[in-house]
Amino acid sequence: MKQWKILMMFILALATSGIAFSQGEQERLNTLAFEMPRRPGAVFSHDDHTQTTEISDDCAICHHVYANKTLVPDESSEDNACSDCHSLQPDRKNSISLVNAFHKRCKECHYDLGKGPVLCGECHIKK
Amino acid sequence: MGPMVWISALICIFGLLVKFILIIKEVYEKERYLLSYITVRHSLRSIIAWLIPFYPRSTRMRPVYYGISYLFHVLLFLLPVFLMSHIVLINESFNLSWPAMNDTAADILTIGVIFALVFFVLRRRFIPDVRFLTSFMDYILILMVLLPFVTGFLAYHQVILYKWIVIAHVLSGEVLLIVIPFSRFSHMITAPLTRAYTGSEFGNIRHARDW
Amino acid sequence: MSGNETISIEKSTDDAVENGLSRLTPQRVSHVINQVLHQETGARFKAYVDTCMRCGLCSDACSYFLSNDRDPSFSPAAKVKQTIWEMLAKKGKVSKDFLRRAVHIAHLECNVCRRCSMYCPFGIDIAYMMLLVRRICHKLEITPQYIQDTVNSHSVTMNQMWVKEDEWIDTLQWQEEDGREEFEDLRIPLDKQGVDIMYSVIAPEPKFQAGLIYQAAVIMHAAGMNWTMPASPGWDNSNMAMFTGDNEISGRIARTFFESAARLNVKRIVMGECGHAFRSTYDVGNRALSWAMPPFEVVHAIEFYHELLTAGRISIKKKFTKRVTLHDPCNVSRGRGLHNMARKIVNMTCSNFTEMTPNKEHNLCCGAGGGVVNCGPPYKKERMVNNRVKAEQLAATGAEVLIAPCHNCHSGLEDIIHHYKLNMEVKFLGDILFETMEKKIYRPEE
Repeated sequence: MKQWKILMMFILALATSGIAFSQGEQERLNTLAFEMPRRPGAVFSHDDHTQTTEISDDCAICHHVYANKTLVPDESSEDNACSDCHSLQPDRKNSISLVNAFHKRCKECHYDLGKGPVLCGECHIKK
Repeated sequence: MGPMVWISALICIFGLLVKFILIIKEVYEKERYLLSYITVRHSLRSIIAWLIPFYPRSTRMRPVYYGISYLFHVLLFLLPVFLMSHIVLINESFNLSWPAMNDTAADILTIGVIFALVFFVLRRRFIPDVRFLTSFMDYILILMVLLPFVTGFLAYHQVILYKWIVIAHVLSGEVLLIVIPFSRFSHMITAPLTRAYTGSEFGNIRHARDW
Repeated sequence: MSGNETISIEKSTDDAVENGLSRLTPQRVSHVINQVLHQETGARFKAYVDTCMRCGLCSDACSYFLSNDRDPSFSPAAKVKQTIWEMLAKKGKVSKDFLRRAVHIAHLECNVCRRCSMYCPFGIDIAYMMLLVRRICHKLEITPQYIQDTVNSHSVTMNQMWVKEDEWIDTLQWQEEDGREEFEDLRIPLDKQGVDIMYSVIAPEPKFQAGLIYQAAVIMHAAGMNWTMPASPGWDNSNMAMFTGDNEISGRIARTFFESAARLNVKRIVMGECGHAFRSTYDVGNRALSWAMPPFEVVHAIEFYHELLTAGRISIKKKFTKRVTLHDPCNVSRGRGLHNMARKIVNMTCSNFTEMTPNKEHNLCCGAGGGVVNCGPPYKKERMVNNRVKAEQLAATGAEVLIAPCHNCHSGLEDIIHHYKLNMEVKFLGDILFETMEKKIYRPEE
């Protein structure tokens, strides 16, 4: 019986801690470009990323510019929205859909650097 | 997606394929006469008759169990295949995409699958003849199917220990895939074969229905 | 590991089983079991074992299960569990108590009627596995005494009842003689070469139901058929070895039978109203002899009567008026799909027909077939208990006469009717036909 009680309290503690962490407004990517977003926008802090040493000031990692399907070096696209180039469905101009642009950009970087979330629910945290 | 997904999927598909080939090979070597009785027409006749819900008398005699079991089997395949999260992952890897099921619907149907499995457990516990046939292994098999669905459900709702639940979801799904060809889960390929043979014996030789 | 223990129930046994068990050594037991289960089977058997999901849908198919108030040990899959699964799990190292139970399950708690394979969603042939258990019992020489005696008789005389050749011929001539007093020029042609039909019966007919041969002769006479019966061994179409797993003798019986048809150079074989004999010649015996289908056209009495009636070879004088019901024997309904034809005959000959439910392919077993009744008196009492549902099914029809076109069914149903005091008379289709038909005297055209 005693073990059960401890286990129950442990589970309760974990459950409530989840609630505790999710308190407060987090900075999220906006989902305006998506017609019917099925997940809440991914939690994303721009400041955290610019302050990360591995990225340092290379904005063009994310804010890249492609011309004729090749990366244009030393150019960046901070003034454009991602959806300006990445449409909802992949097309002849750009084979990376908007969803994949986000997913792949985030996850591949996180994998390569060995830091940052990679599981669905780690970014798309329920509101 | 990590390599284990592909490894386990390949083990599942190739395992079943090899199993199928081995069965046919052994029939050729030891019981080739079976092939002189089996016909495509009577095999399909029997398989189709048994796929029509509540058509065979046996299924009408146990409507609750059969109904639940039928839906369970349909959902077992449809849910993972048409789940948006899975399609997104496939899309990232292969650029393939197909329409996804509504998340709320998937959520409710997942609860349905879980309830079906719980029902199977209860049936194994409380129906005397089923209980008599049940061994420990049967519960293990049910657990193996239950885990991916329960963890998937918990992961979607991000209730607790999200990271660990997702890992458990992926692992239990992979274990299930790997186990399929080596366990009675392989009835997904052997059942059509036994049905086809019995259907052929009944239809082709005995001129009788087998449903 | 609940539900995994084998329940031990005190069941009847007999000397042959007990003496056989006392002779067994553990080495022999495991050797035979492994030999049969691994050498004599193939992918089909493995698929049956691997595919069963223990769902229990087969339970409702079994008259034993239903008659014993849903006792789990009588469920078809449970019979496999208590025999095959355990033999496989223990690699053949099973006890004598286990084997005593296995003999009993395979020989007395299963009619190999194959109804369960119609209730299994996967169509698993449980009867096949019960016959495998019987095969093992045969090889271990622990087959029940009475049925073993019929196999011994087959082996020696090529008939089931130790009927000697002269007795056989004598019986036919006696029936012919009796028949000629009523029907002019009636013949039971013996060993006539090149005729259309070889008529064959099971050995119990000459042994103690010679009147059935008489009736058949009258029907043949009235219909003007060109027929014969073999005078030498091969006349008996029954095959008890098929039910004891003595496949070697079973094959010999089928061979002798087909060879006598070949010797007589007949066009086809017509069989009396017996189910298991039909199974033997139409389904099992031919396979033992490497014929995919029988080398001769094998016609069951139901088909034959139907043909005579629809072709107008015999006509019905006055329909049978008593309320009748029809039992569908497993081996001609599930085994050959003759149930609709049987109904047509009943409707052509009887005016008051009540169906029993369930019927046709789904009919409940007589409880006697598959060699169960042939295990004899030591087991009769449990046979009565084990087929209570059939008695209930019969009683529900309210019929006075029960038509059962099968010898095994006849014996079983008569026992049940007597035991449950059902006040019902069991008849063959031939009996009805004989009573109702125009017995015109046939004179060959001059």
